[in-house]
Amino acid sequence: MSAIRAEGLDVRFGDIHAVRGASFAVAEGESFGIVGESGSGKSTVLRALAGLNPGWTGRIEIRGEAQGRRRTRAFHAAVQMVFQDPFGSLHPRHTVDRALAEPLAIQATGDAEARIERALAEVQLGPGFRFRYPHQLSGGQRQRVAIARALVLEPRILLLDEPTSALDVSIQAEVLNLLAELRRRRGLTYVLVSHNLAVVGHMCERIAVMNAGRIVEELDAASLRAGTPREAYTRQLLAASRGYDRAAAAGFRSFD
Amino acid sequence: MGDAPLVEVEDLHVRFHTRTGVVEAVRGLSFSLGREKLGVVGESGSGKSMTGRAILGLVPPPGEVTAARLAFAGQDLLRLDDAGMRAIRGRRISMVLQDPKFSLNPVMRVGDQVAEAYRQHHRANRTDARARAIAMLEQVRIRDARRVYDLHPHEVSGGMGQRIMIAMMLIPEPDVIIADEPTSALDVTVQMQVLAILDDLVTQRGMGLVFISHDLALVGSFCDRVVVMYGGRAMETLAARDLAGASHPYTRGLLSCLPSLDKPVAALPTLVRDPAWMGR
Repeated sequence: MSAIRAEGLDVRFGDIHAVRGASFAVAEGESFGIVGESGSGKSTVLRALAGLNPGWTGRIEIRGEAQGRRRTRAFHAAVQMVFQDPFGSLHPRHTVDRALAEPLAIQATGDAEARIERALAEVQLGPGFRFRYPHQLSGGQRQRVAIARALVLEPRILLLDEPTSALDVSIQAEVLNLLAELRRRRGLTYVLVSHNLAVVGHMCERIAVMNAGRIVEELDAASLRAGTPREAYTRQLLAASRGYDRAAAAGFRSFD
Repeated sequence: MGDAPLVEVEDLHVRFHTRTGVVEAVRGLSFSLGREKLGVVGESGSGKSMTGRAILGLVPPPGEVTAARLAFAGQDLLRLDDAGMRAIRGRRISMVLQDPKFSLNPVMRVGDQVAEAYRQHHRANRTDARARAIAMLEQVRIRDARRVYDLHPHEVSGGMGQRIMIAMMLIPEPDVIIADEPTSALDVTVQMQVLAILDDLVTQRGMGLVFISHDLALVGSFCDRVVVMYGGRAMETLAARDLAGASHPYTRGLLSCLPSLDKPVAALPTLVRDPAWMGR
């Protein structure tokens, strides 16, 4: 049984056809990446999985169960999301403690105290951070709080939307290491969306490349690193990610 | 002018006096710029943007700029009055900012904004300025420049908006361009295309470029020389091609903590900051 299965996923916003027939499956414990440029539909796929975009058609299965427009409470206990911007995703007037207590209150889990302490310890934030406000934290610390908030329910699946692109590279390394370590320890399943091929290649075993709403190619990290993707679009993206090269830039074309 | 430096910076300090004490954004920075592409790299808070602003006299109040020497083409920028500075700003040294969404005037046609930049610094009537603006738009490889001239900023893509910004900054024919994260808001492929345009124009016209960026790998592949900043100071200055063999632990740390497609690792090395880098 796959942790996640999407078949013929379509998302429209009015006249804009943001995702066109995306199909993929993610095995339990796997880390699956989605890369693409802005407007490719990569975040929209993730939001549809999370139940944040009600206007989708097609089929979404989470751990074998077909999902409808509205998600159950059990779904949210099993699937959590971490957003790109740690400045926008934490309530500025709620303490870390309150941010972490809220999902526990919704799920009525009981042992909130112990779970909050455990979640904070897991993201390597000491108990001193528990009663701080977001403005008293650095960007990297905020993203750790956002990860702790996702972990506090002990989910099976984490949906990660550009979790490090707002961070400095040295902080990015710490957060990526933390995410890799958590997956190892807890056997989590990840879907990681990023525009950064190197980040996805580092974190994921399999990668879907999206352009203009479609998954143009699915490949494993080894063939991405070896530079042997099937599609010209992926090869161009790969060339652009390897730094500035005057000759390569001259050969770029548009794939709309 | 030969090989004389275009910009000389010696012991530059930028300070902000706040209620809670003095914040030093730049602390004793020195470098010089010739007709080359110089990268200024650092993480957030390293003082890289304030350095670019200090050269143009654009540090916002209550910021205070001091330096042993801050000169453009031999002229002391710290002693110039406002009128003297205005004669340099835009005309001789111009600045490209990160996001065209915020740096273009939303209610003015983009072509008119380029033409205005020309008329600000050269005597020209509207027809001449329009013709020059269209020619400049073509130089930044905008197809169908006549049609694009009449568009408003919301009608152009991010990549085209940034090319328009570059056209606007280049049309007064400056000697130096300060580009502060000019392509960070763009997708990688568009980013490379915009950099190629900047590269060609800077090289053809023999300008000096200060390229401010957080992206060490990009700067290493694009620039001739690199200044690596941390905590308002230069950790080291080196030729871009020597970056892989950099000696300073901060530079090495920054390079090694980037995930790489070529060298897969189980865990990324993290940066251990040495208080000595802050010079205390």
